[in-house]
Amino acid sequence: MKINYYVKQDVAVHAFYLFFLVHTVQIGAGLMGVPRIIFSESGTDAWMSLILAGIYIHFTAWIMVLVLREYESADVLGIQCDLFGMFIGKVIGCLYVVYLFFLLLSVIKNYVEVVQVFIFPEIPIWLMSFFLLFLMIYCLLGGIRTVVGACFIFFLLTIWLVFTLYKPISLMNWDHFLPIGQSTPFEVLKGAYKTTYSLLGFEVILFVYPYIKNKKAVHLPIQSAIFLTIFLTMLVMVVSIGYFSPDQLKETVWATLALFKIVSFSIIERFDFIAVALWMMVIIPNLVIIGWMILHSLNRMFYVSKKKSLFMISGLLFLASLIIEYRSYINLLTDWTAKIGFWLVFVYPLFIYFILQIKKLWRKGKRA
Amino acid sequence: MEFKLPMTTKVYIDALNQKFNQSPDLIHKVFDIKGQSIVIHFISYQIKKERLDREILEPLTSSRKPWSVNDLQNRIPLASSKAETNLEEIAGQIIHGSVAVYIEGEKEVITYLLADQEQRSLERAETESLVFGPQVSFTESLITNLNVVRWRLDTDDLVMKKLIVGERIPTEVRIVYLKSLTNEENVETITQRIEDLVVDEIEDTSVLSQLIEDSSSTVFPQLIATELPDRFCHSLMKGRVGVMVDKSPTVLIGPVSLFSFFESTEDLYMRWNMGTFMRLLRILAMMLSIILTPMYVAALTYHYEVIPGSLLVSLGQSRATVPFPPVLEALLLETLIELLREAGARLPTKVGQTMGIVGGIVLGQAAVKAGFTSNILIIIIALSALASFTAPSYLMGTAIRVIRFPMIILAGAWGLIGIAFALCFLVLHLLKLSSLGRPYLAPVYPLSIKDFSDSIIRLPFNKNPKRPTSTMPKDPDRFDENKAKQKKDVNPS
Repeated sequence: MKINYYVKQDVAVHAFYLFFLVHTVQIGAGLMGVPRIIFSESGTDAWMSLILAGIYIHFTAWIMVLVLREYESADVLGIQCDLFGMFIGKVIGCLYVVYLFFLLLSVIKNYVEVVQVFIFPEIPIWLMSFFLLFLMIYCLLGGIRTVVGACFIFFLLTIWLVFTLYKPISLMNWDHFLPIGQSTPFEVLKGAYKTTYSLLGFEVILFVYPYIKNKKAVHLPIQSAIFLTIFLTMLVMVVSIGYFSPDQLKETVWATLALFKIVSFSIIERFDFIAVALWMMVIIPNLVIIGWMILHSLNRMFYVSKKKSLFMISGLLFLASLIIEYRSYINLLTDWTAKIGFWLVFVYPLFIYFILQIKKLWRKGKRA
Repeated sequence: MEFKLPMTTKVYIDALNQKFNQSPDLIHKVFDIKGQSIVIHFISYQIKKERLDREILEPLTSSRKPWSVNDLQNRIPLASSKAETNLEEIAGQIIHGSVAVYIEGEKEVITYLLADQEQRSLERAETESLVFGPQVSFTESLITNLNVVRWRLDTDDLVMKKLIVGERIPTEVRIVYLKSLTNEENVETITQRIEDLVVDEIEDTSVLSQLIEDSSSTVFPQLIATELPDRFCHSLMKGRVGVMVDKSPTVLIGPVSLFSFFESTEDLYMRWNMGTFMRLLRILAMMLSIILTPMYVAALTYHYEVIPGSLLVSLGQSRATVPFPPVLEALLLETLIELLREAGARLPTKVGQTMGIVGGIVLGQAAVKAGFTSNILIIIIALSALASFTAPSYLMGTAIRVIRFPMIILAGAWGLIGIAFALCFLVLHLLKLSSLGRPYLAPVYPLSIKDFSDSIIRLPFNKNPKRPTSTMPKDPDRFDENKAKQKKDVNPS
C-alpha cells in the first residue's frame, strides 16, 4: 500500500464542496435527538456543553488538516501505515471500517425507528432498510462525483427546514434557561462528551483529502461547515429547551422533530409528517459519505473492488438492520458507536499529530 | 461483367439496366447525331423535364459538329455537371436525380443534376409554436435547413461538417457549430459517437438522438430536439453543437442541461423580467406536476392529519361516495387524461377539438356525478396535466408525465415515505445523468452562480455578457461588459 494516493483530475473535487461534505455528514440521525441527551446531563447549562464541544471540534478539524498537510496527497490510512508500520496501520484502518459500519447501521436504524414512531407504525423494517440501502447503492455506483453532488443538492433541498423553526421560536419561554451555572463543571463536560454522536462524521476530511483539487483552501470550508453544524445544533437545542418544559423535554426522544409539530401552513396542518419524510434527504448524504469512506478504505488497504465491497456491505447492513429489533439495542448500538467514535475521531488525530511532531524533532536531532 | 469505358451504347445500356434490376423507371434515349450515338439515362420522376429539354436536349440535338466529352462540358456548362467513370457512381447520380449522358467511344460519362424533389416550403412551427417572435420552422429538406441556418448565422465562422450514416440507406448528417467559440471536445464527442454508429438507416433526428445519447435507459432526453431555427442558432451562439439530419424537420442541440429544456426563445424576445417569470413558472409547474397527485394520494390514504380540518371536510364530502382507494381513483383519472391527450394527438384537428370537450367536460363531470372520483382530484389532475404541457420541449413534457405514474403507485403503497424515496431517487438519477459528458444538472451542480443569469432566470442582456460555462466555450465573452453599461444620448438635454 502506498502512503500517498493520487487521483485523476477529472474525479478531483473542488475544496468548496468540502463544506457540504463535512456539514451534511455531521447533520443527520444525531441531530434528531440531541437536545434531550445534552439536557439530561447538564440541564439548563446545556449551551455551555455545546460551546465547549464546538470549540474542541474546530480544534480537532484544524489538527486533522495539519496532519494531512505533512504529506503531499495522503489519507489517514496511508499516514498511519507510514507512522506505525503496515500491520498496525492496517489494524487501525480495520477499526475505522468497523466503526464506520456501526455508524452507518446506527443511522439507518435510528431513522427507521423515527419513521415508525412518527408517521408509519406499520411499515416493515426490511422495506425501510431496502429503500435506504437502494438509494445508497445507486448513488455510490456513480462514484465520488455523485456522492459530492448528492450532499450538495440534498443540502439545498433541506436547509429551508431551519426557517420553519420560527414558529416554535416565537413560543419560547426564556425562563427555562435560568438559573445559569447550576450544573457542575463535570456535568458540563459530560454534556459535551454526549454531543459526540451528533457531531461525528467530520473525519471524512481524513479520507477525502487526496481527492481535493485545491488543497491549500481546505481550512475555510471545513471550519465554516463545522460552525454551521454547531450553530444548527445550538439553535435546535436552545429552541427545544425554551419550547418544551424540562420534564417534557426529558420525555421527548426526538425533540428536534417534535418541534415541527407546531409548524403549520394553510394547506398543511401537521408539518412534522412532511419533515420526517423529508429527513430522508438529510439521511442520504450521511449514508453515501460513510458508505464511500468504507469502500475507499477497503479498496485502499486490501485492493477490494469497490463494487464487490459495496454489495457485500449493503447485504451485511440489511441483515444487521433486521436482527437489531428493540429500541434498547439501538440505544446500545448508538452509545457504542459514539464511544468508539470519540476515541477514533476526537482523540486519535491529536495522537497522530503528536507522533508526527516527535518524529520531526527526532529527524532534526539526527541530522544535527 | 466488368464495366470499363469506352464501350458500345448497347453494352452500356445493358449494363445500366442490369444495375437497376431492369427497372421500368430508368428511361434511356438514344440519339443519332451526325453518325454519333449518344445515350441519355434518367429516372423520369426524379428530374425536372422542362430543364432537361431546354438545357440539355436542345443544345445537344441542334449542334452541327460531332460531340466529345470536352465539348459537352464546355458547351453545356451547368454548375452541377460531373464526369464519372464508375458504374456505381453513375447509378448513384441517376438515383439522386441526375441525367447521365454518354457519347459512344468516350471514356467518361457526364452527369447533370436536375433533381426535382418533392418538398414543402417553410412553414410556421407547429409543435413548438411561439406567440411572439420568429415563426418559421425547419422542413424535411436538409438543403433548405442549411440555407436557413446560413441565412441566420451569416458568418464564415460557421462550420457544417458532413457525415454519412446508415449502411443500407446512407443519410447525410451535418454537425454544425461556430468554430471560434465552440469547445472542440464537444464537437469531437458528438462526431465520434455518430461515426461509430453501425445502423441500417437513420429514420429521423430523434432516432439519431436516442442512438448517441449518454444514457439510453432513462426517461429524460439528454439532447434537445427542436424545430425552431432561432432556438438552434441561439444555442450555437452559446457554444453548443448542432446536428442536422437529412429528411428530418427537427435538429439536435447538445450538450444541454435539465434546465435548458425549460427555456424557450420566447423568454429572450420578452422583457427580461417577464422572461424570468416564465422560466420560474415552468420549473414550478414541473415540480407541481410531479408532486401534486402523489401528495393527494398519500395524504388521503395514510396521513389525514396533514390536511387542515376545514379542507378535510370538503375533501371527505366529495370522496364520500367514491368506492375506490385514492390510488386507484388517481390512476384512473390520470389514465383518462393520457387517453384524451393521445386521442387528441391522433385525430384530425377538427375532430380533436370535439374530443377535448367530450372528454374533458362531459367525462369529468359524469365521473364525479357517478361517484367515481372526487371533484378535488379532478382539479388536481387537470392542474398537473396542464403544468406538464408548459414544458417547451415536447419530450421533456412527456417524460414528466411518465414519471408521475410510478410516483402515484409509490405514494399509494407507502405514503409520504414512498414519495420521499421517489424524489430522492429522482435527484440521484438526475445527478448521474450527463449530456455529451457534461453534467446534466448544471449550473446547480457543479455550482456556477454566473451561469444562472441565463438558465434558470434571465437577466437583462447588458447584465449578461458571458456565455454559459457549462459548455466550456472557447470564447467566454459575448461582449465587453463595461461598454454595455454606457448608454449615450445624442443630445443630452
